[in-house]
Amino acid sequence: MSVGDPEIVVSAASAGVGSVDAPAPELAAAKIQGRSPWRLAYERLRSDRAAVICALVIVLIVLMAIFAPLFRLMTGHPPNHQYFDTGLSLDGQPRSPNGTFWLGTDDVGRDVLVRIAYGARVSLIVGVVATFLTVSIGTIVGLAAGYFGKIVDTILARIIDVMLSIPFLLFAIALASIFSQASWNQGFWFLPAGLPIVIIVLAIFSWSSVARIVRGQVLSIREREYVEAARAMGAGPWRIMIIDILPNVIAPIIVYTTLLIPVSIVGEATLSYLSVGVQPPTADWGQMISDAQGNYHAWWFLVFPSLALLVTTLAFNIFGDGVRDAFDPRSGRMFK
Amino acid sequence: MSVNGDAASSGDVLLRVDNLVKHFPVQSTSLFRRSKDAVHAVDGVSLEIRRGETLGLVGETGCGKSTLARCIMRLYDVTSGRIEFDGRDITRLGSGPMREVRRDMQMIFQDPYGSLNPRRRVGSIIGDPFSIHGLGDGQDRKRRVQELMELVGLNPEHYNRFPAEFSGGQRQRIGVARALALRPKLIVCDEPVSALDVSIQAQIINLLGDLQDEFNLTYIFIAHDLSVVEHVSDRVAVMYLGKVGELGGVDGVYNHPRHPYTNALLSAVPVPDPDRSRERERIILVGDVPSPVAPPSGCRFHPRCPKAKQRCVTDVPELIPRLDDPPTHVAACHFPVADGENIADSRPEISAEERVVEGGLVGNV
Repeated sequence: MSVGDPEIVVSAASAGVGSVDAPAPELAAAKIQGRSPWRLAYERLRSDRAAVICALVIVLIVLMAIFAPLFRLMTGHPPNHQYFDTGLSLDGQPRSPNGTFWLGTDDVGRDVLVRIAYGARVSLIVGVVATFLTVSIGTIVGLAAGYFGKIVDTILARIIDVMLSIPFLLFAIALASIFSQASWNQGFWFLPAGLPIVIIVLAIFSWSSVARIVRGQVLSIREREYVEAARAMGAGPWRIMIIDILPNVIAPIIVYTTLLIPVSIVGEATLSYLSVGVQPPTADWGQMISDAQGNYHAWWFLVFPSLALLVTTLAFNIFGDGVRDAFDPRSGRMFK
Repeated sequence: MSVNGDAASSGDVLLRVDNLVKHFPVQSTSLFRRSKDAVHAVDGVSLEIRRGETLGLVGETGCGKSTLARCIMRLYDVTSGRIEFDGRDITRLGSGPMREVRRDMQMIFQDPYGSLNPRRRVGSIIGDPFSIHGLGDGQDRKRRVQELMELVGLNPEHYNRFPAEFSGGQRQRIGVARALALRPKLIVCDEPVSALDVSIQAQIINLLGDLQDEFNLTYIFIAHDLSVVEHVSDRVAVMYLGKVGELGGVDGVYNHPRHPYTNALLSAVPVPDPDRSRERERIILVGDVPSPVAPPSGCRFHPRCPKAKQRCVTDVPELIPRLDDPPTHVAACHFPVADGENIADSRPEISAEERVVEGGLVGNV
């Protein structure tokens, strides 16, 4: 952040003592509405150019996922249709980008562009649902461990230690193959076949890190005087956890959530790449990358899905950094 | 100001603390921990607080003042002893019945920055006692909160602001308003002004005084500033290492201090007259307060006491009236300081290993 940026200077001043920026008494009277820490964070986020650009990119990707059928309409190609005559060359090789197939075709003659658009759905669903599940479990466990302490904390801390020491990929592949035929794994609602187990596996393996962060925060917040004040007034443990402690750990949770979404997306792509994720023929970035490996000369088949994955994760990561800076302006940035 | 003997014998005691002990086990953080050491934070304190009075609680950092306050508020579970509030034994009261009692006892905290949740609006912070005890609904609560804000000298229009938008003194007023919300009988003030500027301290103290007159409040006022305590209190208890060293009316304790520790504390109070200040002999205590994990035998003050004799090492002094003091003024000292006695020149008569490392305990300035 450059010091000369006027927007930043204003928000930094108001972050300290709110009354400083009141210019005149009559104006101050009109401005009596308090500025919440959320609003201050939002204003800081808005002045972070990289984060704003990444937010726009994320919005574009979300739109691409929602309006994937539009790509189908524009090109006239359904995502799973195999164009054996127009989509493949005479010797059965994928076609390079051209007027009909803007980003080329894959090894069985499907339109790469349409499949990337539909693949965004899978990635975002996993990113959101798995992260939501992870953060929910992690927050509940972390709150309980941190607040109740003693024996609860000891047991939960041991479970977290065990979870963190299990090799992720080995276990994930095993679980995904065991449950690949399970009835609840055959797709329901908006989840295609194979995705439920991927989401569960990702949540099982990431909640422990969220729980650790939340637990640490709760341990320090539990000792604050305002928690003591709440207890002195007769507040019960649930009220204290939800009203007094949770709002103070929500900022690190949000930061971790935005950084966890790309991790989940990559995790899903990894599992699909290893063909234990989403079942074919559902379009999926990880699976496309995996299929492309056998076709060395069809660069478009490898590059475009990889690029989609890269841009998505990069956008979420930089946006997540921006969110962290917005919530905690004192922490230094990694990159200027 | 000071309350005399007949009030003590009358049944108008709001809070009675009887031989209260609070030990914190010193824990090792291994999986299978065992603890045998303990911090003796409060070690056998007995007090009575009468309706409408202010009891000052003074002592050095770490003497157990705040622990005592938190035990009274039942924020800590007591190790042993008995707390009786408004005629009811609350020592081991379960959380359900304790909630009822908490309506009548509230606390004001030391740190005006730490005692208000930074993520919540002031209106809902002050309204907390109502919502916790399920009193009133939205509109009614808002009206009562704004009344409280006005009462403590805050602009009721600032209902929607966050704690970060107030100054330290204003924040402490928010804490006072919150403590006052349910019209409690007892308010425990844990160093309510130590974190404030001197100019603001007077405002808060006067506010507390006005509120006491208006609502007939009873205060336990903890502080390490002796002149503040003298100003606000009816009676004073001087604590040292978890025990009460001297207890009595403000006049008695300040004008006829019996315990050498009280004398040392009082000699450290700044005097606004430089001539008198220069004439006065300060009693300098050498060394630090001993570790509360292994408190000294006999009188706890003996390693630092200029008047210590062999008896102080072996016998625990009782908290009883000394010399010709009235029964309300008690001190725990075998060799109380007589009026006019200058203890700045006395030397302890105990073996060197019983004293703190630096040896010669007393020096003149």
